[in-house]
Amino acid sequence: MATVHPSSPPLPGGERVGARGGFHPDVAPRPRAALEVTLRRLLGPDYRMGFLFVAPIVVLVLALVAYPFCYAVYLSMTRKYVGMPPVWVGLENYVRLTYDGFFQRAVVNSFTFTFASVAIKTVLGMGMALVLTSKIRFRSFWTGVLLIPWVAPTVVSALNFLWIYDYSLGVLNYLLVHVFGVLSHGVGWLSEPGTAMSSVIGVNVWRGFPFFGISFLAGMKAIPGELYEAAAVDGATVVQRFRHVTLPGIRNIVMIVLLLSTIWTFNDFAIIYILTKGGPGGATMVLPVLTYEIAFGAQRLGEAIAVALYMLPPLAFVIIVLSNYMRKGRTR
Amino acid sequence: MDTRLKHLAEQLDAGLIARREFLRKAAIVTGGTAAGLHALRTMAPAQAKTKLRLWLFKSFVTAGNDVVAKQIETWAKDKNVEVEMDWATFGDREQKFVAAIEAGNPPDMAEMNLYGPMRYKAALRDVSKVASDVASSKGGLLPFAERAMKVDGKFLGVGRYSMTTVFFIRKDVMEGKGLKVPKVYDPDVVEFAKKSQDPAKDLWGFGQTLNRSDDGDGFMSNILWDYGGGVFDKDGKPAIGTTFLKQNTAALQFAVDTIKKHGIQPPGVMGWTDVSNNEAYMAGKLVTTNNGASLYYAMVSKKHELAPKTTLVLTPGGPAGSFVGSSCYNWAIFHKSAKADLCEDLIRYVEDEKRFAEYMQVSVGQAGPVYKGRVDNPYWKSDPNFDAILQNILRSVNIGYPGPMTPAAAEVQGQKILTDMAGRVVVGGLSAEAALKEAHVRVEEIHKIRGKA
Repeated sequence: MATVHPSSPPLPGGERVGARGGFHPDVAPRPRAALEVTLRRLLGPDYRMGFLFVAPIVVLVLALVAYPFCYAVYLSMTRKYVGMPPVWVGLENYVRLTYDGFFQRAVVNSFTFTFASVAIKTVLGMGMALVLTSKIRFRSFWTGVLLIPWVAPTVVSALNFLWIYDYSLGVLNYLLVHVFGVLSHGVGWLSEPGTAMSSVIGVNVWRGFPFFGISFLAGMKAIPGELYEAAAVDGATVVQRFRHVTLPGIRNIVMIVLLLSTIWTFNDFAIIYILTKGGPGGATMVLPVLTYEIAFGAQRLGEAIAVALYMLPPLAFVIIVLSNYMRKGRTR
Repeated sequence: MDTRLKHLAEQLDAGLIARREFLRKAAIVTGGTAAGLHALRTMAPAQAKTKLRLWLFKSFVTAGNDVVAKQIETWAKDKNVEVEMDWATFGDREQKFVAAIEAGNPPDMAEMNLYGPMRYKAALRDVSKVASDVASSKGGLLPFAERAMKVDGKFLGVGRYSMTTVFFIRKDVMEGKGLKVPKVYDPDVVEFAKKSQDPAKDLWGFGQTLNRSDDGDGFMSNILWDYGGGVFDKDGKPAIGTTFLKQNTAALQFAVDTIKKHGIQPPGVMGWTDVSNNEAYMAGKLVTTNNGASLYYAMVSKKHELAPKTTLVLTPGGPAGSFVGSSCYNWAIFHKSAKADLCEDLIRYVEDEKRFAEYMQVSVGQAGPVYKGRVDNPYWKSDPNFDAILQNILRSVNIGYPGPMTPAAAEVQGQKILTDMAGRVVVGGLSAEAALKEAHVRVEEIHKIRGKA
């Protein structure tokens, strides 16, 4: 390929003239040349090579993320049954869902499940981290033990809790009624409206709080000991040290963990599906389970995708906030 | 060069053989090689086996699964076919079908349940010829089975067997209390349960979930019919909260009362899944429950202590009669299959009476008849408990009753509208009438959408 001088004028066909083609300083640059100059100024002199290097990943992202996403958006605007071609219905699925009482309850349940779970996990995780930073015996052992819920497969945990919560055969009622005598009779943990949601939140918390604890613990260990010593010398109490030294020190980690957990919890499917399938009477129906039920129970794929995409705006908001936080962390 | 020819050439050069001898032996070697290669070429296609992908239903009756798998393997060996068998359970079969059909990669043939032909009709092949042949050789199909497999006038499934529910009763408790077999739910089952239960010992008179599950949904369908109601009218139009509102209100109220008012069900029953009543019954926590024959199979095959203490009776009814919906398992062939003839051959093979009898024998009542000719099989008199199974199958109605079986009716079942409705009363605090009207809106929506399909 001939070397092209950046300032060389274009030929009538838009071709540039190199060293062999002569140089005509009196000829005004054509639009294409101006574009080239602008691109080089904006993207850098090696922008062509840059595009070449990022092309594979761009193609991958387009094929594996952008295309499926766009196709999902398209399908959500169709009436699509299994084995049949989609029929365009525009926003009909979204409009119908908006006014569907069952869907509305699922939205409320999703937020209840997510916010309650994340709040409790934050408190327990903080407690776990504080205990594990203190001088206790067998700290490594306890750290390992507390991580078990996090590393255990979700399906296994949920199936175990299905048995634990069982009214007649479950160990929880057995302990509360027969061993400790706290209750005169058992509780239908998964069958009562007041306890079903709390029970599934309980499992999500049990499974998720070690992640909070370990993350907070890592953040706390990075805080220089001198800060605590200085605070102690200044007469700060334990609570004040926690508030003015520990919390600011792990603020970024807390934010990232909170946001990540919000996304994961909002999308949690296995725990609720295994424990209640969204019952009783829709009391624990959340959007991921509803998506599944409409896709495989009703076999209306278009509407199921519309349910899933309804979750997108709040999750996108969380993801944007999370990205900003992580970018800030990198630039510091 | 072939080593044998090379050797001959060396012998010729050395003068060990004459030129004529060389030519004769060389002709034999090359001719033999050519003939051998030709033979191998013709044998190659014969040896490359045809591959058949087959999805079977993995029922709780494991002995039956083994029998059908063995039969298929024998058939495959005879036909020199390579069969790739995969199993789908109650919990994952719909997901598997949906994923395979949407990916354009379904199996050649699959064992489906009652809803399969209706749900996947767009992907299924018309099997009217083989379905009619098999049916006519067995005295014809039972009406409910024919309705389930015939979609838009064409058979999309070939009948195999029927699975139904019956009423399980602890015979020892019933006899100990001097009680009689209940005929209707209200007041028979209620009185029976109250007299036979002992909540202090965690023994409950009746165990029937209304939670989102096949068991709960089946019971809710039955009880609406028992009270003269239903989800759809005889024309297939939604009637759950309109035409049948009065009947359905009474039925739903009764179902809810078994939990809220009569206190005959264990407190955790609204959290049950499909296996919960099986577990509770086998743990000795229930006096009665509705379930498929798989529970009886589980007890008999494990020689469970409650097996001989259990009696299976007809499902109790209501003011309008006693109604039961039974499933109809069937063989379906996918459009995409290029081996439909082979699939049909396999269907004829496994549905042969001798082979089906082998399957039925180990199924302990689970493999009920869908063909009239199988109703009179002496097997159904080999255990007194089988009679209830047989009679329930013979009087089965289809979803959508009293109307036709429609895609909307299948979706109402798929979305568990009836159990959601019951749950809204039991745990949501709605009145029965309000819950029915709420359900009616959902059914109307489904009917409207499915009507456009």
